[in-house]
Amino acid sequence: MGVIELHGLRKEYRRIRGGRTVAVDGLDLEVPDGGVFGFLGPNGAGKTTTIRCVLGLVRPNAGSLKLLGADVSSGLASVIGKVGSIVEQPALFPRFTGRRNLQILGRIHRVGRSTIDDVLDRVRLSERADDAVRTYSLGMKQRLGIAAALLKDPSVLLLDEPANGLDPAGIVEVRELIRSLGAEGRTVFVSSHILAEVQQTADQVAIIARGRLVKAGPVHEVLSAGRARGLIVKLADLQAGALALADAQIPAVVSGTALSVDLPPDQAERVTRVLAAKDLYLTELRPDEVDLETVFLELTKDEGLGT
Amino acid sequence: MMIVGGVLLIVVAMVIAGANSHRPTPAQVAAAEAASQKEFAMCMQGQFSGSELVGPGFQLPPGYATREEFCRDATAPQVDTGLQLRDLAMLLEHTSTFVVLLGVALAASLGGADWSAGTMTTLLTWEPRRVRVLLTRGLVVALVVAFVTFLLQAVLLGAFALAVALRGTSLGAPPGLLSTAVLTGLRVSTVAVGFGLVALAIATIGRSTVAALGVLFGYLVLLEGVIGGLRPSIQDRLLVRAGGVIVSRQPIYDQSHESFSSIGPSSLPPVLLGLTEAWIVAAVYVVALMVLALLVFRARDVN
Repeated sequence: MGVIELHGLRKEYRRIRGGRTVAVDGLDLEVPDGGVFGFLGPNGAGKTTTIRCVLGLVRPNAGSLKLLGADVSSGLASVIGKVGSIVEQPALFPRFTGRRNLQILGRIHRVGRSTIDDVLDRVRLSERADDAVRTYSLGMKQRLGIAAALLKDPSVLLLDEPANGLDPAGIVEVRELIRSLGAEGRTVFVSSHILAEVQQTADQVAIIARGRLVKAGPVHEVLSAGRARGLIVKLADLQAGALALADAQIPAVVSGTALSVDLPPDQAERVTRVLAAKDLYLTELRPDEVDLETVFLELTKDEGLGT
Repeated sequence: MMIVGGVLLIVVAMVIAGANSHRPTPAQVAAAEAASQKEFAMCMQGQFSGSELVGPGFQLPPGYATREEFCRDATAPQVDTGLQLRDLAMLLEHTSTFVVLLGVALAASLGGADWSAGTMTTLLTWEPRRVRVLLTRGLVVALVVAFVTFLLQAVLLGAFALAVALRGTSLGAPPGLLSTAVLTGLRVSTVAVGFGLVALAIATIGRSTVAALGVLFGYLVLLEGVIGGLRPSIQDRLLVRAGGVIVSRQPIYDQSHESFSSIGPSSLPPVLLGLTEAWIVAAVYVVALMVLALLVFRARDVN
């Protein structure tokens, strides 16, 4: 059983001038327990709407949703105490201090003062906790939002674009925080349109486009779904190397400063043997790894959404 | 901020009132008491011909149990030197409009704050039971409005009593004046709470403070002002009129009734909106709007 289970989820919005916009279109998704789950898609793919549906903020037109085994439409209140979340920008009272904001929220679930201190420390905001939120940088507000989400000591965290608008240092901080939360055994569901962010933090990933699931699974499996892997070979004389490999029936082309060899990585020793036999010595040999960005663009190209 | 502003306003008003008032001289007091005794005796004999009607078959106005009670009140000694303690309850009635408006502004702010700050999303991710959220907010709004409005009225009473002690007179103050004033203040606060809940409901439906204030202002001008003025027969269904009746405990009479123009000294025109009906009208407005707000809030997407 997944921590989050969506089956046939559909959400439409009425347009002011008539007609309907389909934000989520029959989405099926199962998020396993523990670790970081990346929810990837371009802007407007339906990520935020999906998260809002899971949190009961938005009523789906069709489909079923379960969160921690509870039906969201009827039993959300019974599990909400174990769920922390940030939806888009964390909404906080700007005139109140960071600590006061957490105290207000903490009252709902009777969270103690020491827990507030702990989460502030965890997101490294202790020193600025007694300053008004309006004086915070975007990154600090984002970290305070995560602190608010952590107040309930949740087993599931839903973070919608947590690195949005952050500078590189802030992105690294948030990334490390997400990784550590996932490593603690919590389930961290992170939506993002930033591919590198998901690739570096997530264990599992789901890619959606136009409200539909395109691909889901462990990150390495999704990466391998894009196209066949090959090998990148570097040596002093690229043309000679390409000829030697061609003589041995190994397809290879010069690609920039390296040879792109169309051979699975587990057959790399064939390349080394052929080139060494011709007195050509390698300076570099590595798998031609496909990054998530490439896979994402390839998987979503039929949708016309790859950006 | 609103409380501080209200207190400052009261202080300034009392300083100005005190500056324009002075204590009556002993001669003025003696003359007023003599005139009062004479008028009281005439009133008891049914000869009093002030603004009230006390002839044969005289109907006591609402709020009076006996003719003596009415006559004592109507003929109390008066000196026209400024601040008089006997006006304590009347002062609260006359400032009730501002107090109720303060309650409305306070409730609309409380109701609209979460929508304008975007914190409703955060709140609902902590407590997804929306009926509970709105009812709790209703309770909080009711308590805050009741506390603030009653506090400000208490400050007003205190400031007025102080100004009277320094520059006015307690001549003609009836027994039980303080309890009458306190009860008037409680009624004003209750009406403010009712209006506050209406403002909260509209702020919830419109998702903003401005929507609540705008709709209430539109209602005040269109229904209470224009339509209520053009069609007096609907006055028994209007919220502000009901609030006025509750505060003053004076019913609204049917001025369109034919007996009104040919009224004799023995009869009053029929009551259009009595005290009990006023409570019912106000309660219907509050409950209906809160139920509507609940239905809208439950069904609506929070984006």
